Amino acid sequence: MNDIHECRLLIIDDEPELQKMVKNILQNEGYQNLTTAGNCKQARQFFSQMKPDCVILDVMLADGDGFTLMREFRTMSAAPVLFLSARDEDENRLLGLGLGADDYITKPFLPRELILRLQAILNRAYFPAVLKKAAQPVFHFTDTEIDLSSGVIRKRDGEYTLTAKEFLLLEKLLENMGKIVTSDNLCHAVWGENLFRYENTLMVHIRHLREKIEPDPSHPQFLLTVRGLGYKIIGDQTQ
Amino acid sequence: MKSTLRIFIRYIVSAVGIVIILLVLNLFVLLGWLIQSKVENPVYYSIRDFSDSLALDQGEFSISESSLQKFHKVYQWAMLLDETGKIIWSESLPPDVPHEYSLSDVASFTRWYLNDYPVRVWQHPNGLLVLGSAKDSTWKHEIEFSESIVSKMPAWISFGLTLNGIAALLLSLLFGLGLFRSIRTMATGIENLSENKPVTLPESGLLGELAIKINQTSRQLTKQEKALKKRDNARSAWIAGISHDIRTPLSLVMGYASQLEGDPNLPLSEQEQAGVIRLQSEKIKDLINNLNLASKLEYDMQPFEEKTLYPAELVRGVVTDIINSRIGEHHSIEFIAEDKIEKLKLVGDEDLLRRAIANLVLNSIQHNADGCDISVEIKKESATCSIIVSDNGVGLTQEKLDGVASQRDFIPDNQSHGLGLVIVKQIIQAHNGTVEFKANSPSGCSVILKLPILLSR
Repeated sequence: MNDIHECRLLIIDDEPELQKMVKNILQNEGYQNLTTAGNCKQARQFFSQMKPDCVILDVMLADGDGFTLMREFRTMSAAPVLFLSARDEDENRLLGLGLGADDYITKPFLPRELILRLQAILNRAYFPAVLKKAAQPVFHFTDTEIDLSSGVIRKRDGEYTLTAKEFLLLEKLLENMGKIVTSDNLCHAVWGENLFRYENTLMVHIRHLREKIEPDPSHPQFLLTVRGLGYKIIGDQTQ
Repeated sequence: MKSTLRIFIRYIVSAVGIVIILLVLNLFVLLGWLIQSKVENPVYYSIRDFSDSLALDQGEFSISESSLQKFHKVYQWAMLLDETGKIIWSESLPPDVPHEYSLSDVASFTRWYLNDYPVRVWQHPNGLLVLGSAKDSTWKHEIEFSESIVSKMPAWISFGLTLNGIAALLLSLLFGLGLFRSIRTMATGIENLSENKPVTLPESGLLGELAIKINQTSRQLTKQEKALKKRDNARSAWIAGISHDIRTPLSLVMGYASQLEGDPNLPLSEQEQAGVIRLQSEKIKDLINNLNLASKLEYDMQPFEEKTLYPAELVRGVVTDIINSRIGEHHSIEFIAEDKIEKLKLVGDEDLLRRAIANLVLNSIQHNADGCDISVEIKKESATCSIIVSDNGVGLTQEKLDGVASQRDFIPDNQSHGLGLVIVKQIIQAHNGTVEFKANSPSGCSVILKLPILLSR
């Protein structure tokens, strides 16, 4: 298996129209091995026959519930399970009971949401290397190049190496490019602590980071302060 | 329980009080009687005065007319005996009175009666003066105490009074205890009733009838509560069921609309139309979620995940998420945090609190489509944390503010503000906090959330 789209997927939902739509959405996205089941009995049969790589499972089925079905599947295979649920109440069970569901979506959902979640689950389960590689791209800001995989910043006047903390900071900010990251989140990401212990330290590290990536550190263009909230990195030349 | 004891003490005090009042009353009656007897014999003519007015004048005893008059008002007859016991002077002497007396006769009548006439005697310079009253007019009795008894009299009187007091106290305690017991049972019953516990009191005894009524009330309350709970459950389950049933068809509407929206083979206008369907379905989805949450909060069915959290971090996160989502592009959103607010802690459900604050900001954005300035402020006020969401937009009319503030049920009125604010109120109330709505000048409105904070020791 070279591509997530080759994964065998089993879609279990008691509403035929919804089966059809989910199948349709996933087909359009390029998934080729799709099987649908309408009840537990069918699902068990298909599961042992096709040995799916991932299961999309409705919580409420006519002849049983998805939670029990998942436990059965888990005794046979480690295939990840994405739950579809039509009740808020399920959310608490899915979150709280540690059922080992890989993710869940509450109905109604947008096709995009389903695709992204499924992708994430499949990548995590079958292509962890792909995931890692994708997470460390090289960023370009006018004259600055940030290479997170090597932790190096290249500018016209030379190369700078990021310290461990600066790396974590920059990584978090770049992950959320264009969006504000709160000071709290930065502290949690870098030190695993609350803001009030590291407020000043954070400011010092941001200053050092600016010295490395900004052409003019006292007038930052990329790494901006959002008063009261946190910081964000802006820039449109991403590769 | 305290009140029962108070009733008991009150009872004892009043019992003892009654005894004291009775004693005093009796004293007054005695006094009144004494005064009354004085009034009945107003001209008490003393034998001494009479003796003084009886004088020996040239071998003849004479007495003035006025003295004699006074004498007759009180006495009936008089005589003067000489040393040998013979009458040497007399006045209105009745025939059945002897004219000569031996020493033993004198000793006898001096103390008691003379032929049933009550008499008084007095030492006159010329002999023994004897005054007699009418028969059956006076009751004579000898009073004789030993000196030691008289000297112990004050002690005896005070002992008697004390004994009276103690007896009253003990008796009232004895009788009160029974009453106290039954009142205590009653009080416990009423207490349980107020705490919504089922009550079954023994229906006998002094207050049995009262106990029967209390038991009846308890049964009725239990019944009502059951019915109420059943109805609430039914309502909540109904809403949950409806929303569940809507979700699946809505998934199809949203899914296909979204696919059509992104279908490059369709003309642009139709893609846009599909986009409208998708957007409206998302609104229905929000509505269902809100309705469900509101009904669950209303009937205490929302699981409450309490943990210690930092409100400043939470609010900052909510504001950041909203800015990042670019929902309010025409709106400036500002976050103001007081110094040293970062360490402030409170206990609550993070998701619900986030939702409450997000609802307020989103509400401001929604009601001011043309843009406005929104500020979210967090500060500490003694034992509360205030989170103030304020805007300078169109605001709410006072009428609406009052409406939102006073709305008790989660069922929204027909105003357009929907469930958002109701949910905010429910969430904050579930955290033992308060919500205030205020109009801003010149325009806009503020919503102030006050939550109790965790005091650090």
